[in-house]
Amino acid sequence: MIGPAVGNDTTRPFTGRLKIDARLLLASVGWLPVVLVAGLVVVVVWLSFQVITPGQSANFGWRAYRELYGDPFVYQTLLNTGWFALLSVAVALFFGVVAAWLVERTDLPYKNVLFTLMTTGVLVQGFITAMGWVFLLHPRIGLMNKAIASIHGMEWATVDIATPMGMGVIQGLALAPLAFMMVAATFRSLDPALEEAAAVHGMGLISTLLRVTLPLAFPGILAAGIYISTIGIAAFDVPAIIGLPNRVFMFSTFLYFRVQPEFGAPRYDLAGAFSTLMIFLSLLLSWLYIQVVRYSHRYAVVTGRAYQPKPVELGRTAWLAWVFLGFYLLLGQILPTLVLLWNSLLPYFQPISWSSLDIISFSNYHNLPWSHLLESARNTGILMVSVASLTLAFSVAISWTVTRSDLAGRFVLDAGAFLPHAIPHVILAVGANYVALFLVGKALPIYGTIYILLALYVLAWMSFGTRVLNSAILQVHKELEEVGKVSGIPLLTCLRKILVPLIAPAMVNAWLWMALLSYRELTMASLLVTPHNLTFPVFIWSLWMEGSITRAAAASVLGLACMIPLVALYWVFGRRASGSDTAI
Amino acid sequence: MTGLSVRGLTKVFRTKSGSVHALRGIDMRVEPGEFCVLLGSSGSGKTTLLRCVAGLEKPDSGEIRLGDRIVFSDNPKTFVSAEDRGFGMVFQSYAIWPHMTVFENVALPLLHGKRKLLRQEVRGRVAHALRLVQLEGLQDRPAPQLSGGQQQRVALARALAVNAQALLMDEPLSNLDARLRESVRYEIRELAKKLNSTVLYVTHDQVEAMALADRILLIGEGRLLQSGRPHELYEKPIDPAVAEFLGTMNWLSGKIRERGFVQTELGLLRVHGAEKVGSELLLGIRPEDIRLKPVPSGEINEFRGEIVDNTYLGDHRLCKLKTPGKTMVAKLVGTDMGYGTVHFQVPEERIVVFHPNHKGKEESK
Repeated sequence: MIGPAVGNDTTRPFTGRLKIDARLLLASVGWLPVVLVAGLVVVVVWLSFQVITPGQSANFGWRAYRELYGDPFVYQTLLNTGWFALLSVAVALFFGVVAAWLVERTDLPYKNVLFTLMTTGVLVQGFITAMGWVFLLHPRIGLMNKAIASIHGMEWATVDIATPMGMGVIQGLALAPLAFMMVAATFRSLDPALEEAAAVHGMGLISTLLRVTLPLAFPGILAAGIYISTIGIAAFDVPAIIGLPNRVFMFSTFLYFRVQPEFGAPRYDLAGAFSTLMIFLSLLLSWLYIQVVRYSHRYAVVTGRAYQPKPVELGRTAWLAWVFLGFYLLLGQILPTLVLLWNSLLPYFQPISWSSLDIISFSNYHNLPWSHLLESARNTGILMVSVASLTLAFSVAISWTVTRSDLAGRFVLDAGAFLPHAIPHVILAVGANYVALFLVGKALPIYGTIYILLALYVLAWMSFGTRVLNSAILQVHKELEEVGKVSGIPLLTCLRKILVPLIAPAMVNAWLWMALLSYRELTMASLLVTPHNLTFPVFIWSLWMEGSITRAAAASVLGLACMIPLVALYWVFGRRASGSDTAI
Repeated sequence: MTGLSVRGLTKVFRTKSGSVHALRGIDMRVEPGEFCVLLGSSGSGKTTLLRCVAGLEKPDSGEIRLGDRIVFSDNPKTFVSAEDRGFGMVFQSYAIWPHMTVFENVALPLLHGKRKLLRQEVRGRVAHALRLVQLEGLQDRPAPQLSGGQQQRVALARALAVNAQALLMDEPLSNLDARLRESVRYEIRELAKKLNSTVLYVTHDQVEAMALADRILLIGEGRLLQSGRPHELYEKPIDPAVAEFLGTMNWLSGKIRERGFVQTELGLLRVHGAEKVGSELLLGIRPEDIRLKPVPSGEINEFRGEIVDNTYLGDHRLCKLKTPGKTMVAKLVGTDMGYGTVHFQVPEERIVVFHPNHKGKEESK
């Protein structure tokens, strides 16, 4: 015995005392959002079978599907969505894979700069890039189109951006940073000895690249491609900015159009039926994604290597690499931003000319509806902080239950937490819209408040939160918690004093990333926003849709300016323990 | 200090590729103040047994008592969770919390555990525990700045500081280098005896087990193969597997020719207790029991062989002795005998006899 014994431990009764099992408490907290997400999916499927006849109570049947089946507009939308998704994957992978190879496998100078630009590029709102490109390539008034058309004999070369393929290219440019992050992680985890073996045995650079590196990285690239297509088929920003005003519909804007129609009653049944098809498609893609990811881990190096693999020397071709990357940065980020800035200073949209220099002013900024702007900024601010914090809390509960407890059903819980990754957010938003308006409206009047956005954002991003925390917790040796348990420390204290401090870097990273996601989110908000719960992205979008495009440009410039300190914050605190392949 | 008893303990792990029977009915006792070592190869179930005792795994059936308190039973169903059992434990990885100082590591269970102490008490208790493991003065050192040996001591201090019912140790020395391992081993034993602690200690290293244990419990394939004092297990193993695990054995198989004499690969061997003429026997001889001689001495059980391999190992040599029927390994301390023809004697009293039909019988203490 060390020192005086305290209490009479041996005779203390240990049964018959009522106590709450902290494991069950955590598990139930974790199950709550998973059940809610599953509930939203069920509601959407249920909606698709509703048959509503005015003046009668609802029946159930296949009417929505029959109507969908016989509607050429639906076929057109599907075709549009297909081309759009295909083009965005192709463009994203083209730029993403090359950039990832340059950063991870060559001695490209200033590659840190490229890495920074690409990772923060993930956070640039798609609708801002899209607005920029409308200014550049609008069929009638786009700056580039006008410039091309002014050259005699070149009229044929003008580009119509308001087509599925045009939008697909823009969406692809916006998704390239994501492809970059995922593929870079694949390149990083490949065993460099495999490439070195090829080199030692006399294979040249190109031959090694084509016969060793790319085949090894292929599963990882394929996984990135599948993942990006799940985003592509449901992307909202670009189709909403470019497609909607020009009556070119995609799946996501179709849903928006059915649930928030300009006139007539909302058609939840049609939205539900189309969504149900897309749910099946998305689950299929996610299943493929998981299979491919599992396959791709076969070649991965699990342990960190002490030595640096010898990078491919670019030598005098380095400038070529930077020309390529510069081309991407110009198209994807610099040009759209500059043209937005330019137009935010003009009273109305016009080409660049000496005469327009005389009329530039800050009047768009002055004339912004500032009361709305401030209110939307306040709402967005509240959402950023509360969504990130709540999602993190739920994610800790879920991830602990999945990785550490021995409770039955924890694998189902994990799959459930992955669900918002698989099911397009716009579908969840349709479900939430209906639930808030018609199912719980009386008891829980959350429609038109920021609470519904809060709840939906938390559900949508718990998949991201749990992916980051799962891998963070798995990196903490189990015995660190077990020793606490054996020495008599209760579970919740163990979490607070041991686990949470150890995974704090990952938690800070996830918190900041989710705050930034909340800042840029337009898709879900578009289906749930009323004048009373305006968010900043919706504020910009509504300016755009009402035709005040130069004022929308001004608001976007303000939004981008606000993002700089946020990204800097993320850069300083968050990036250390990033789970890069689970971004978004 | 409290004793510990386990009765009929079973545990099956169900994995995707099937079920693994980790424990197949273990019965054992640890007396108050006794230092018991669970010895076994990896996968034998020894760590699972320790984790069941600690409350980190839930057994499928059986009973575990800590003193006279039942901490696990399948009938009536009882499971006292790990934090309520009151053990101190040292893990293989040490499990030193890397975000804390030495003091905080030892103090955390005292401040937040089931038996909360007052702050002033904690200070004294931690200081005392650190003095016991000779770490006084390192209180404020951040944990990641400690050497492996120091982390090991912090882990020990933390386990001692809670005034545990009993100490559980899961291969605590396996991450230390060989030299340090020996000195820490000695300190652990000394400390446990000084504090009169009940200790259940897991290792796969038979030298470590013999050096530390009052009693060794040899585990194999989820069963208790034999328990006893180290020399009992080494000299009187009840099972060839036990004998093999505790050190190299030369195996001879033979048939009893007449009372006291067995026909083996070496030739006719006089064996104590070979009674039943015609029955088969398995005989084991430890390398250190074989006596090498340059010239024949005419004693009983003497044979001629040829040294075909001679490995110098510092304090002894290992010689391979080739005879017409069998190649034996002998341990030679003292003068080198080089290579070539040699005579060797197998002392009758050192031969371990197994009846092949009765192997795997449970121990009788």
